[in-house]
Amino acid sequence: MDDQVKEDKQVTRRSFLKMMGGLSLAGITIGLTGCSNTTTMAEQAGGDGWLPQQYQGRGNWPAQVRGRVPIDPDNPSIVRDDQKCILCGQCMEVCTRVQTVAGHYGMPMADDIICVNCGQCTLWCPTAAITERDDTQKVTQAINDPNKHVIVQTAPATRVALGEEFGLPPGTWVVGQQVAALKRLGFDAVFDTNFTADLTIMEEATELIKRVTGEINAPLPQFTSCSPGWVKFCEYFYPDLLPHMSSCKSPQQMLGAVAKTYYAKVKNIKPENIVSVSIMPCTAKKFEAQRPEMNDSAHYWHKKDIQDVDVVLTTRELARLIKQQKIDLSKLPEENYDPIMGEGTGGAIIFGATGGVMEAAVRSAYFLITKQQPPADLFNLTPVRYLEGVKEAAVEVPGVGTVKVAVCHGLSNARQVLDAVRAGNAPWHFVEFMSCPGGCINGGGQPRSSVPPSDEIRMARINSLYQADAKAPLRASHENSEILAIYEKFLQHPMSELSEELLHTSYTDRGKKINALTS
Amino acid sequence: MSKGVLVDLTKCIGCGSCSVACKMWNALPYSQTSQQQGSNLDADTWTVINRAEVKKDNEPAWRFIKYQCLHCDEPACASACFSKALKKTKEGPVVYDVSLCVGCRYCMLACPFNVPKYEWDKAFPEVRKCQMCANRVYNGDSPACVSVCPAGALTYGEHKTILAMAREKINGDGGYVKHIFGEKEAGGTSWLYISDIPFENLGFRTNVTTKPLPEYTESILGLTPAVGLSWGALLTGMYVYNRRRNEIAKEKEKPGNK
Ligand code: SF4
Ligand code: SF4
Repeated sequence: MDDQVKEDKQVTRRSFLKMMGGLSLAGITIGLTGCSNTTTMAEQAGGDGWLPQQYQGRGNWPAQVRGRVPIDPDNPSIVRDDQKCILCGQCMEVCTRVQTVAGHYGMPMADDIICVNCGQCTLWCPTAAITERDDTQKVTQAINDPNKHVIVQTAPATRVALGEEFGLPPGTWVVGQQVAALKRLGFDAVFDTNFTADLTIMEEATELIKRVTGEINAPLPQFTSCSPGWVKFCEYFYPDLLPHMSSCKSPQQMLGAVAKTYYAKVKNIKPENIVSVSIMPCTAKKFEAQRPEMNDSAHYWHKKDIQDVDVVLTTRELARLIKQQKIDLSKLPEENYDPIMGEGTGGAIIFGATGGVMEAAVRSAYFLITKQQPPADLFNLTPVRYLEGVKEAAVEVPGVGTVKVAVCHGLSNARQVLDAVRAGNAPWHFVEFMSCPGGCINGGGQPRSSVPPSDEIRMARINSLYQADAKAPLRASHENSEILAIYEKFLQHPMSELSEELLHTSYTDRGKKINALTS
Repeated sequence: MSKGVLVDLTKCIGCGSCSVACKMWNALPYSQTSQQQGSNLDADTWTVINRAEVKKDNEPAWRFIKYQCLHCDEPACASACFSKALKKTKEGPVVYDVSLCVGCRYCMLACPFNVPKYEWDKAFPEVRKCQMCANRVYNGDSPACVSVCPAGALTYGEHKTILAMAREKINGDGGYVKHIFGEKEAGGTSWLYISDIPFENLGFRTNVTTKPLPEYTESILGLTPAVGLSWGALLTGMYVYNRRRNEIAKEKEKPGNK
């Protein structure tokens, strides 16, 4: 219809010009009608495309859901293809409402586009315009380099989601197939981040006990520190509460640090020849691995240019690598992780779900304090499990009394807990924070599911982890035989001088970057 | 009656929604070499966001500068255009009518802000620049870029209303520099900018005259060859003009060229 109108006008205008040339009388009449129309819209350049419905015909009322999140071109975690962006506004929604990052800082800006790197926007973006920064090339290059010893670790949560990329139902347990695929891709050794999840529990539970007994001068509640999106969120928005943050590195970074020290020594490999890769459900892990302080193996060897973890791939990138090699994950046999960093307990498995770190920590803290096995209900700490936003539990520990804990996931929920701590009315000793709703199983690097991700899929992945924990031969971190071995042969004991050097870290006050606008 | 847009540079978060909206609404193709848009205006890029890395109170600060046609009140481009392909509408937008364009590109030379671009790589090139979404504006909507801005950096409204708003803002808040860019520049523009950092530090062309530019261009045009004097020359010109216009129309009708 519009086109028809346009064509008619072109005819009249041509006639008008003919009239100018004095060619026909008929032209004059047609031309005159065309003349009065010279500023009609159809003739003007532009406006040939479309915009989503929410921006149309609104008479200047602002659309509720609009625009998109800013992404720094140098962001280590996420990138956006402008050509695929349809300005649906969903990334802005998740960033503003679920993660409370966008719109929660003051303007004008300092020299930082505020982003906690969680990657939830990659799960909400309907066109996948926003994706993880693809680092698969770096891994392929390292594997093809005969001088490099390429090791890989896999996070607890990837084993219940990777299968979805190969047509398996959400939550399918593919731990053995994942190892088999990594071996076929050419990695020299395949380790389990669960090993260092157990190591984290040993260090973090010890730190908690020391805070409670006053042996170290740091405030309670202690905050967990394994979710790098959460850590950066606290650095931006609650830097005054950073003394609460456990000094423990995340399991990824602990494995990176011991791989280039402990493992390098045992295997007699030069640390600079080890390329350390991790497979994570998380885009923020890419940022974490690049933090300048994450190079303690370099200090250990008095060398430069060694990074504890070299490359982080998300679950989606691993799937891409496997598909490129035309490997069908679902047809692979189940294979085992390699020693001396391949063993994990049930407590480590549940790190992947909200509440899991807390439950695992409680199991081992109980043991470390009482030297006795924890009671059965600590192996089924239901009050801190599943998807309620903020969860609480109280645990009786002989000799200590009641230990109060809280668990939250999704950063909007974190604010509730943090505001209580800031106000000085937080009853807890220990709080677990996870950046992403549901925990790592719904991390920003996990396979895309519905948009936005549904609780149904989150629950399928969570249940799979708890089932594996229930079936695990060992369910508490302090029972892990490789953990006992690393302390005996290398680290000596939790929070020893060497443990402090390799497994603990410090944080950065980023409060100035948000211009102190809080909550 | 005349509309305008106020850009508050202190509010821009640098998301680039505005430049994507421009591409979408005007069906402008992306560069095939990059996932992100370029930083310069070109024939297919009518608005850009550029990051200025500056200092404020000795601390590093980033400001994002949205740039597009400023829609001058008395546009030099339009006065340079003897075929009236460019004109200032009473609603504010300075619009381009390809059917009247002879391709002389005087507008490009005349513009003090270096805005109009030419489709050098096309067989039947057009002059291209922001139209301020004239057809949205005629329908009572804001330009596409304004409608998508999630940060409140862009405000659309009656020119005199947004000018008053700009004045109120810079006078009420000591953080702003006391300068409304576009109030006087080039004799006044439909787009106005306010900022907390002096415009010259942000790459704005602040040395442009505050006299309406047509006063200059008309005298320049007075020196251009007097096409109108020779009827024969005019007819020849008209023939070429007509042919060019029809060819452009044909080119546009080809599938895939829309
Ligand atoms: S969610 Fe994706 S498509 Fe939608 S506005 Fe954000 S980047 Fe664009
Ligand atoms: S849409 Fe608004 S906030 Fe985003 S870049 Fe454009 S002016 Fe800045």
